[in-house]
Amino acid sequence: MAAGLKTVILLSFVLAVGFLLIILSCALWHNWLPLLVALTFVLAPLPNAVFSHCGSDDFSSQYEGGAGPIDLGRFITSLVVVTGFALPVVLAHSDVITKSACVMSIIGGGLVYGTILAYSAAFRQDESDFD
Amino acid sequence: MSLPRANYDPRRVCLNPFPEFTLGKHRRTVGVYIAGALFALAQWTFFDAAILSAHAKPEWGGDPPVHVKFLDWLPGLSSLLGFLIVNVIDKDRIKGDEGFGDSGAVWRARLFLFIGFAFMAGGLAGSVCVLILKYILGDYPQQFSYYGYANVSQNIAMMLAGVVLWIAQSSSGEYEYNLTL
Repeated sequence: MAAGLKTVILLSFVLAVGFLLIILSCALWHNWLPLLVALTFVLAPLPNAVFSHCGSDDFSSQYEGGAGPIDLGRFITSLVVVTGFALPVVLAHSDVITKSACVMSIIGGGLVYGTILAYSAAFRQDESDFD
Repeated sequence: MSLPRANYDPRRVCLNPFPEFTLGKHRRTVGVYIAGALFALAQWTFFDAAILSAHAKPEWGGDPPVHVKFLDWLPGLSSLLGFLIVNVIDKDRIKGDEGFGDSGAVWRARLFLFIGFAFMAGGLAGSVCVLILKYILGDYPQQFSYYGYANVSQNIAMMLAGVVLWIAQSSSGEYEYNLTL
C-alpha cells in the first residue's frame, strides 16, 4: 500500500503542477481563454467512462466486433484530446494568446491528461490484483 | 482454373481483395482513435482559418480583402454529412451476408453508402473549387490563400478519417473479413 500511496502523492503533485501551468498561462497575460484547455482535458476521459458499460456485458470479450457505443466513446475521446492540443495552437496562431501562453497551456494540459491516464491505469491494475 | 475454395467469393468485385491489416487485437481500438484524431484535426484546421480570418490585419493596414464566409463552410458541412451517412450504415448489410435475406435491404444500404461517399467527394471537390475560384483566381497574397488550402486539407482529413474508421470497424472479429465492395 505504501507504493500506492507514493503513486497517489506523486500524481497529485503532477496534477497540481499541470493546473498551475494552465492558470499561470492565463493569469500572466490577463487572458483567460487557455482555461478552456483545462476543461477539455478534464472532460476527455468522460466519454470512455460513459460508453464503456454500454457495449458488452461481462461475458463477452473486450475486442469482439459490433461494439458501436464503445467505438463512439473512443472516437469522442480522441476528438476531445486533439481539441485540447489544437485549441491553444489555433489561438496562438491568430494572436489571441501569446506563444508562451500556448506552450505553457499545452504542457499543463498534457500533464493533467497524463495524470488522469496514469491514475486510471494504476487503479485498474490494483483492481485486477484483487480478482 | 482451379482456385482454392476458400478464396472464391462470388460477391467479390475487385480482382485483388483489399489488404489485410495486422495490428494485432488492438487494431479496432487504434483505428478508431486515429480516426477521431484525424476528424478533430480536420475541424481544427478549418477553425484555424476561420479564427485567423476574423482576427486578420494586413500589414499595409486597412481592411483585409477577403474573409471566410458561409461559402467556405459549405464543403466541410457536405463532408460532415457524408461522414455521418457512411458511418450509420450497417457494415454487415453492405457485404450482403446471409441472415439478412432481404436483397432489397442490401441494395438500399449500398445506395446509402454511395450517397454518403458522394457527399464526401462532393465536399472535397467543392473545397478545391473554393480554393481555385475564390482564392487563387482572386490573386490574394499568401496570408489569405491559406484559408483555401486549410479548407482543402480539412476535407481531405475528414475523408481519411472516414476511410480509417471504415477499415477499423470492418476488419475486426475472428471471422475472415474482406472489404468486399
